[in-house]
Amino acid sequence: MPAVQDTIDRVRKIDVDQYKYGFETEIEMDKAPKGLSEDTIRFISKKKDEPQWMLEWRLEAFRRWLTLEEPTWARVNYPKIDFQDIYYYAAPKSTPGPTSLEEVDPELLKVYEKLGIPLKEQEILAGVQKPKAEADEFDEAGDNVYKSGRVAVDAVFDSVSVVTTFKKELAQAGVIFCSISEAIREHPELVKKYLGTVVPTTDNYYATLNSAVFTDGSFVFVPKGVRCPMELSTYFRINEKNTGQFERTLIICEDGAYVSYLEGCTAPQRDENQLHAAVVELVALDDAEIKYSTVQNWYPGDAQGKGGIYNFVTKRGDCRGKNSKISWTQVETGSAITWKYPSCILRGDNSRGEFYSIAVSNGYQQVDSGTKMLHLGKNTSSRIISKGIAAGFSQNTYRGQVSAHRKAENARNFTQCDSLLIGEDCGAHTVPYIEAKNSSAQFEHEATTSKISEDQLFYVMQRGIPQEEAIALIVNGFVKEVIQELPMEFAVEAQKLIGISLEGSVG
Amino acid sequence: MNMHATPQRTAAETALIDAFGERLSLLPGDGEVMVKRDDAIEALKAGLPTKRIESWHYTDLRRLLTSVPAHDGAVQAKAIAPLLEGSTVLSALNGATAGKLPSIEGVTVQSLAEKLTDGSFAPALDPYGFDDAIGALNTAFVADGYFVDIADGTEPETPLELQNVQAGGQTHMRFPVRVGTGAKATIVERQTGEGAALVSSVSQLVLGDDAEVLWLIVQEQPDTATHLAQFKAKLGKNSKLTLFLMNAGGKLVRQEIIVDAAGEGAVFTLRGINLLAGDTHTDVTMVLDHSVPHTSSTEVIRNVVTGKARGVFQGRINVAQYAQKTDAKMACNTLLLSDDGEFSAKPELEIFADDVQCGHGATVTEIDHNHLFYLMARGIDEKTARGLLVKAFVAEVIEELEVEPVVEALEALLDGWFQTHG
Amino acid sequence: MLEIKNLHARIAESGVEIIRGLNLTVKAGEVAAIMGPNGSGKSTLSYILAGRPDYEVTEGEILYNGESILEMDPAERAAAGIFLAFQYPMEIPGVATMEFLKVAMNAQRKARGEEPLKIPELIKRVKEEAGLLSMDMAMLKRPLNVGFSGGEKKRAEILQMKLLQPNLCVLDETDSGLDIDALKIVSDGVNALRSPDRAIVVITHYQRLLEHIVPDSVHVLYKGQVIKSGDKSLAFELEENGYAGIIEEAA
Repeated sequence: MPAVQDTIDRVRKIDVDQYKYGFETEIEMDKAPKGLSEDTIRFISKKKDEPQWMLEWRLEAFRRWLTLEEPTWARVNYPKIDFQDIYYYAAPKSTPGPTSLEEVDPELLKVYEKLGIPLKEQEILAGVQKPKAEADEFDEAGDNVYKSGRVAVDAVFDSVSVVTTFKKELAQAGVIFCSISEAIREHPELVKKYLGTVVPTTDNYYATLNSAVFTDGSFVFVPKGVRCPMELSTYFRINEKNTGQFERTLIICEDGAYVSYLEGCTAPQRDENQLHAAVVELVALDDAEIKYSTVQNWYPGDAQGKGGIYNFVTKRGDCRGKNSKISWTQVETGSAITWKYPSCILRGDNSRGEFYSIAVSNGYQQVDSGTKMLHLGKNTSSRIISKGIAAGFSQNTYRGQVSAHRKAENARNFTQCDSLLIGEDCGAHTVPYIEAKNSSAQFEHEATTSKISEDQLFYVMQRGIPQEEAIALIVNGFVKEVIQELPMEFAVEAQKLIGISLEGSVG
Repeated sequence: MNMHATPQRTAAETALIDAFGERLSLLPGDGEVMVKRDDAIEALKAGLPTKRIESWHYTDLRRLLTSVPAHDGAVQAKAIAPLLEGSTVLSALNGATAGKLPSIEGVTVQSLAEKLTDGSFAPALDPYGFDDAIGALNTAFVADGYFVDIADGTEPETPLELQNVQAGGQTHMRFPVRVGTGAKATIVERQTGEGAALVSSVSQLVLGDDAEVLWLIVQEQPDTATHLAQFKAKLGKNSKLTLFLMNAGGKLVRQEIIVDAAGEGAVFTLRGINLLAGDTHTDVTMVLDHSVPHTSSTEVIRNVVTGKARGVFQGRINVAQYAQKTDAKMACNTLLLSDDGEFSAKPELEIFADDVQCGHGATVTEIDHNHLFYLMARGIDEKTARGLLVKAFVAEVIEELEVEPVVEALEALLDGWFQTHG
Repeated sequence: MLEIKNLHARIAESGVEIIRGLNLTVKAGEVAAIMGPNGSGKSTLSYILAGRPDYEVTEGEILYNGESILEMDPAERAAAGIFLAFQYPMEIPGVATMEFLKVAMNAQRKARGEEPLKIPELIKRVKEEAGLLSMDMAMLKRPLNVGFSGGEKKRAEILQMKLLQPNLCVLDETDSGLDIDALKIVSDGVNALRSPDRAIVVITHYQRLLEHIVPDSVHVLYKGQVIKSGDKSLAFELEENGYAGIIEEAA
């Protein structure tokens, strides 16, 4: 019997209940009644003190949603969602809008502590810059040493942004970084101009639902010529029972502007499935660049696959201006169901889209994720690197579309899509759609599926590295190309997460 | 939440349903066959597949099939010269078998009409999975074809050529072939004609253990014909199937290839060429099942797109959980030579076994400018140089077949196409 | 240090027996050469010593410092000081050589209850050893063995061996694919490791390597058994007359 069998058995037995961030926080909540109706939407809009146009926008989306059907084309199976059995609004009670950390509920700060996320809030919130890692030389040799840059955090605790730091310094640079609710109140002209222009309210079932009921999310505006002085970060966290999370994020980079945005998620453990349907819209004007990184490790469900989060996300970036660039990097280890295709519309001439993805699935997780690169402008280019790792009883699907339209002269795409299988009860699937309507387009797509070779494993173990660690080492090598695209602090978390996700086999 | 109104039937759908009513009493078949035909037309009554059906994503048959010609028994079709010299030719002309059945040692040939009439063929009429529109269309209307049985251990001296020649109207044929244990054969399938016909043709190959078959499909319909074809094969232990496909005609073409590598040690090779011109639509869709351990496959599809032609390749490789040690490689390469043409590729991998080596690649490119420059630097004018490079791009696939008469015959066809369309 | 008694082993999947009653003893401080024609079971022996799971020991015993290692997995054997320099070192994409060295050295230290090496100390040691083997530091930043030439791979094996300081070194056809300069460098590396408390087993098809790494004993392996043992002169005899004579003699 090959040695790997032992690992497979262990992976099979993996205890997903060990979910590292599974704890609940008790903070008083202010909820809308369960269920979805025009009244719920009016309630949300009123709670948020929104202008009339915003309410109308939401209601229009809701009416549209009533005419839509849930999509079924993705390779995921789940019991029917009862949209009337969900709370659409829950806000921490004691937060009329803190202006400094002292005003924040200490419970919330404790949550951050418990998360133990590598952001190291204390340092960051105190504005501390960590000394550079001792051995840069070694770092060059391939080790990912944590190097803290400066990061601004906008936390969404359940549905309302509670704390925003670094606001002043950002304001000096002319960068607006606030919750979307605040933006609707304070910068209505910008929201009106850009909201729904990348993901229209009519786009798809979940995006339409989000348009009707979104409760919070981030808003970023980087004006012409400004390079955002720090990385912006939001830690989402689903908390209250049965509260669907409907974040709405809108990021705009004007001509020549640049921003790097980090999104990370953890969620407490619970029995009922939780729905999450976020919408993220990115707009890059001439010569602008947006880098959007995600580490997602929501609760994947228990050992029987029960209770995990349903993640139906619409993320899309519009390279609206010439020479603009949008880059998505994602590390997906959590959720029971993932339905997610961060995409780029390459409208501006010479624009570029990138998608780097690691999707790890274990237990009974189902992942259907990928990207769309729609080449519309001239000389546009895109690059897709996707690494899927399936273990346990999970199903891991890459679904990606690359298309060049008639006028997309010299469109270029390179896609590399690799899958690794650990154990014989999981599945890895690759579904690319490659569509060329321009003779000067050059598309290259490559995909492979394999398992960790026993020869490799034996070799690594012969050097004294125990089996679990050996697998982790090989898996981390497999995903290296994508890890390298992450900001340093995320790279560390990502590698740890991959380890945690395959726990039982890779300790 | 909302109701779908039953969509209005298209002219083509109505014509097919009407034709069934008119033709049914004239079609061969016992009670069981009639039930299958009836099931099939019921499936069609639900509507032709649209792009919302995943397996028809790029070929919206409901939209593309705008009209259906009436059956025309009066027209005459003529047999053509075989692709490979000395072949034993089985011609089906305008939807019916013609001429005397040949007698070859170890090979039994029957008309399919006979096997439909006595009902012995009924079980083989079952559809393939869901959305089997071509299977349904053919089952409903199939009138004839050849049933070929190559006995265990035999190797016919001459290649066998199955000709399906249409002359307009509707033609619905089937060609079931069984190749016995250890038998070896070369089989050519010709699909051609001169009319604006609607053709459905289904080939069903069962390959015994250790059998070896080279099967060539050459489709050269006129640019007025709709050609809906299916090639289904089941591979026995250690058997080898090499399938070569050339699409060089037709207005609306869909060729499905459905292969089940069902015996351990089975080896499947697919080599395909799509030569696309004019305002046409050509779809090659392959579903390959690796259902047992230790099977292997390679697929190479080369496409040349000119004019306003639209091309599609969908290839799905399914590896069952039990099918460890599968080795599967698929490649689809396209030269898009016109801004009005388009090509879509969907090479899928569905993998449930962990100890496998599977991969696919797809490219869409222009002619390599370095190669072009090199040839022109040797004094070859641009047009000629381009022609040479395009031809070389597809000829590569033919040369791989290595059987000299086959390579020569196919290259001659290739030359012919480039002379007309180059 | 190493005692192999009446060892029988077969390929797990096919059940084909490769080692058929092999006896061999190697003492601390000894360099033992194992020679034999192709297919005699030389590489299999090295894999079995390292604990490759594709092989099953059906009979006999392998004692290392007096204790059986048959129940230990490859990582445990490595931590106990058994090192195999592979004939065909595996490529590990995405894992930088330097990173790999760090993980391997620290895994072994951890198994022995030692503190992990500090990064500057590690770098210093790697630099020194790599220098002795004429290896470029840039190479160590590349993924392990990926795109290395045959000679580079062999050098990387010796580098690992020198850094891990094993007690029992097994070199499987380390000379194959090496030119004369590389052979000299690699041999010097191995010779530097000769010490009274270390044993080295050199598996080779040709006598060439033994001119550089002079053995204390030579053992001829044929059909899974040691059919003749002697001192280094046996290697010369084989070079002169080939294996046929010895095989006949044994039969």
